[in-house]
Amino acid sequence: MTSPPRSSEPQDLLTLPDALRRARAHWTAGQARQAESLCQRILALHPRQPDALHLLGLIAYAYGQLDTAVDLLRRACAAPRAAASYRSDFAEMCRQCGLLEEGEAAARKAVAQAPDMAAGWNNLGIILQEMGRYAESRACLEKVLALEPENAEILNNLGNTCLRQGETRQAERHWRQALSLKPDYAKPYSNLAKLLADRGQYEEALDLGRRAIALDPQFADAYVNLAALETERERHPEALKWLDALLAVRADHPVALAARALVLAKLERLTDALCSAERAARLAPDSAEAQYALGYVLQALGRPQEALAAYEQAATRPGTKAEDALVARAVLFMEQGRREEAEEAFERVLARFPQSVHAWYSRADLKKFRSGDPLIPRMQALFDRGEDLLPGDRMVLHFALGKAYLDAGDSTQAFWHLDRGNAQKRATFTYDADETSRVIDGIKDAFPAGLFARQPSLTVASTLPVFVLGMPRSGTTLTEQILASHAAIRGAGELAYVQRIAGDIPGYPHGVQAACADRLRDWGRAYLDQVTVLADGASHVVDKMPANFLHAGLIHLLLPQARIIHCRRNAIDTCLSCYSKLFAGEQRFSYDQRELGRFYRDYERLMDHWRAVLPSTHFLEVDYEAIVDDLEAQARRMLAFLGLDWDPACLEFHKTERVVRTASVNQVRTPLYKTSAGRWRAHAGQLRPLLAALGLEGEP
Amino acid sequence: MTRPLTEILPEGQALLAAGRPEAVETLLKPYLAGGTGPILLWKLLAVALRRQGRFAAARRIQEMIVETVPGDLPARYDLADTLLTLGEFARGWREYRYRYSLPHTRAIERKVQRPRWEGAPIPGETLLIHDEQGFGDTFQFIRLIRAARARSQARVIVEVNQAAFSLIQRSYPDFTVTLRGQLPPPFDYHCELMSLPAALGLELADLPGETAYLRAAPERIERWRARLHDLPRPLVALAWAGRPTHPNDASRSLPLSAFAPLASAGVHCVAVQKGPAADEEAPAGLALTRLGPEIADFEDTAAILSVADLLISTDSSPAHLAGSLGRPAWVLVPFEPEWRWMLDRDDSPWYPRHRLFRQGRPGDWPGVLERAGDALHNMTGNHASRTPQKAAS
Repeated sequence: MTSPPRSSEPQDLLTLPDALRRARAHWTAGQARQAESLCQRILALHPRQPDALHLLGLIAYAYGQLDTAVDLLRRACAAPRAAASYRSDFAEMCRQCGLLEEGEAAARKAVAQAPDMAAGWNNLGIILQEMGRYAESRACLEKVLALEPENAEILNNLGNTCLRQGETRQAERHWRQALSLKPDYAKPYSNLAKLLADRGQYEEALDLGRRAIALDPQFADAYVNLAALETERERHPEALKWLDALLAVRADHPVALAARALVLAKLERLTDALCSAERAARLAPDSAEAQYALGYVLQALGRPQEALAAYEQAATRPGTKAEDALVARAVLFMEQGRREEAEEAFERVLARFPQSVHAWYSRADLKKFRSGDPLIPRMQALFDRGEDLLPGDRMVLHFALGKAYLDAGDSTQAFWHLDRGNAQKRATFTYDADETSRVIDGIKDAFPAGLFARQPSLTVASTLPVFVLGMPRSGTTLTEQILASHAAIRGAGELAYVQRIAGDIPGYPHGVQAACADRLRDWGRAYLDQVTVLADGASHVVDKMPANFLHAGLIHLLLPQARIIHCRRNAIDTCLSCYSKLFAGEQRFSYDQRELGRFYRDYERLMDHWRAVLPSTHFLEVDYEAIVDDLEAQARRMLAFLGLDWDPACLEFHKTERVVRTASVNQVRTPLYKTSAGRWRAHAGQLRPLLAALGLEGEP
Repeated sequence: MTRPLTEILPEGQALLAAGRPEAVETLLKPYLAGGTGPILLWKLLAVALRRQGRFAAARRIQEMIVETVPGDLPARYDLADTLLTLGEFARGWREYRYRYSLPHTRAIERKVQRPRWEGAPIPGETLLIHDEQGFGDTFQFIRLIRAARARSQARVIVEVNQAAFSLIQRSYPDFTVTLRGQLPPPFDYHCELMSLPAALGLELADLPGETAYLRAAPERIERWRARLHDLPRPLVALAWAGRPTHPNDASRSLPLSAFAPLASAGVHCVAVQKGPAADEEAPAGLALTRLGPEIADFEDTAAILSVADLLISTDSSPAHLAGSLGRPAWVLVPFEPEWRWMLDRDDSPWYPRHRLFRQGRPGDWPGVLERAGDALHNMTGNHASRTPQKAAS
């Protein structure tokens, strides 16, 4: 029913200006084929004609052919009389392919040629922002905002630069204004989502992030920001869902792959995490996010040298990931016991990023502060910045300053900070102390003494695993470090394997009673297979996951020949130490003195039960205070319990060259002093809620 | 999962191709138990449910897919199709914007370098409305341009394809109508013809809106009236095949031989079929005059439909042309219909004089033609007692 389209174009009678005018008009109307064909006709006669090259480039760009577009625009801009707007367009395309220097040069030519053209200054401003040159970026964007005060894109870009300069209030004002001008603009929603998440306003942030995705369903930043939000509040599976949703449609997105690697690492899925990080680094070798993620996963896998190289790589890039990488590098030195290099590394971070609260936090942990220490006013100055300090950063500083003032003996200042820091952390998640008590009662009921008598011959008889468990901050790291100094023992750090097995048992804890011997053996073997890899030929491997105190019964059931060492320490000292830490992992009971005290009592109740039902040949209790008093006696006692000969290296545990990755990383690097025993007494006045919860109000 | 995706997926697709969508459900059930499982399998299940006419169930799955993977734009388009079929216009039109985000449509999206009109008043501005892929779409949705003009308060330019151009120019003399591919006059905003429903917030209750909005050319009507004058009444126009390149052509087109049940109704038929199917052999006893070679364009088809008493057609452009001319038509609709025919009804909210004959089960054209034949019998019975109907002009 159709006849071929009639040609209505006056094909042969066009002058060059007419042909260009028609080509542009066709493109404005979205008639790409007609516009292209006119451009091709022009280029056949004038191969370097800049206007035709530019228009072809814009068309290629619109259809997603960025490389072709860059090539065409580069040729268009080679002409001496190329328009300023071509150079400006070229600059933006360069930025999108990561050609920042070439883009900067083009944008600078554009603004020199046409100082009143908004696009040129805008494009220069965002290139400078990506290069980390925030002051220059801001100057450009403020200039262009004066030219076009109602331009939502410029406001959004300016907001981003302000954020990177630490001016969060100003950033927020710009983003909100952008949205009032252009309510269907996805980017400011996502930027605000990130900011509100950093302020702990998670629900509002989630809503904004969802709106960004509704407006632009393939907008990668929005997914990455939502994942970061869920990570921040410890909802790692949700974080993974956002990233998987993005990767389902943009499988090669390096930032998403890098973010996914970090989440997987937090979920202890290290093999998958490495795979994801390596893929990110392969796709975008220059990406700071990819290199940082690679470093993080390699570090978690116990490959510190490679991790260090990746962090160094990430630190060379502009942007905030370089800060994270520099901090991570310093912490890595710290974990390896390389104190001086760590100190230097912290100075390096703070020289480039003076406001890096994470650098201050880890550095405060490394250092023993004295009264009048010059680092305290530096931290205090950062803290006093007021409204621009993000709540998340404020929280971290509270813990850093709390630690410093505790060291320096200023109890009032210390708890002023600790109480606020803990309250802020506590507000980011839900925790039900009653539920914890019920869980602990459930575990007690599920493991009566009689349970352990059955079918011992069918279970896994290995003596390879040694479990060191107890409250966090009760000396588990120290105990592991002492043991791992023995030639026959490897320290494997905090392993999540037991928790994972417990999670796989249907109806755990009571479900254990229904499990047949075959299943018990499978689970025991599953654990053993995983630690055998880590043993590296040693006869014993220490798993020092403190939270395994919940599963001591399960451990004895699955691995009846494994030895369990329970680390004990004065209740108040333990709790004070917990309260002064911002844990990397989940310790939800630790951020409120009353909940902390209650948790301690629940823990004690469960340990009383294990003491009653587990054989003393396989369950040993070691007091932290006793180790401090007489290290050798306790070390000998533990080795005898494990059936091992004495090794004097155990007394030199702080020299042992191995990586320690827990909240106690710096304590195990110093010989034992009696500084921490009974230290709570100096702060009794600040610890009243804790003492009440522990039932120790009357303590002298 | 006991078997890899790379095995299940082709097996499921083969079952679909073999017309066994219920077997696909059985195949997938164990892999999707508990509400989890690979998105690709969920998509396959949604297709299998639609094939069985279970659109509400398909919708729930497609909504879940969009919720899980918001950036999967083809999945959003699939959801739009299901929602529109169910008459859920508000979200349906919203998701329909992803029709150019499919692997085979991405390259044909028209990237107009002016903002899209989203429904706000733009007095004093010029709005370019341009038609899209199918001829039927243009005939069906051109009715919205007056509403768009009223809402936008803009000067409206309408750009349409060559085949529909003269019909639309004649029918909308108060609009500037330009030809696709040629330079339109300068404009400030644009809107795709099929984006007008979203911009206007078109609801099911707003239908049909304008009816009989296209007018055939009077001189062509006269020519065809003369050409068809000697044929006995009632005169029924027939079209049985759509454009063979249409993605769903296999399920909407049928062979001419399937029209055998119409033969005994004693009507005379004229074939308005064009294209490769036009020469198919007619069933015995069917009085058929083939007009295909004499039809130059849609103007001829429109004139024939204006003279004939009825069109019986598969789901293709003549059905829409008849509807937009306000002429009666019986449309033969596959079991899994295109969204615009909706579900479970034998009328069309778009075209008041349409009657739909739906397959009772997939592929059942004989059943459809039986019922159409019976209806034709009834009609001719009535028809015989009346004076011949005068064709509209």
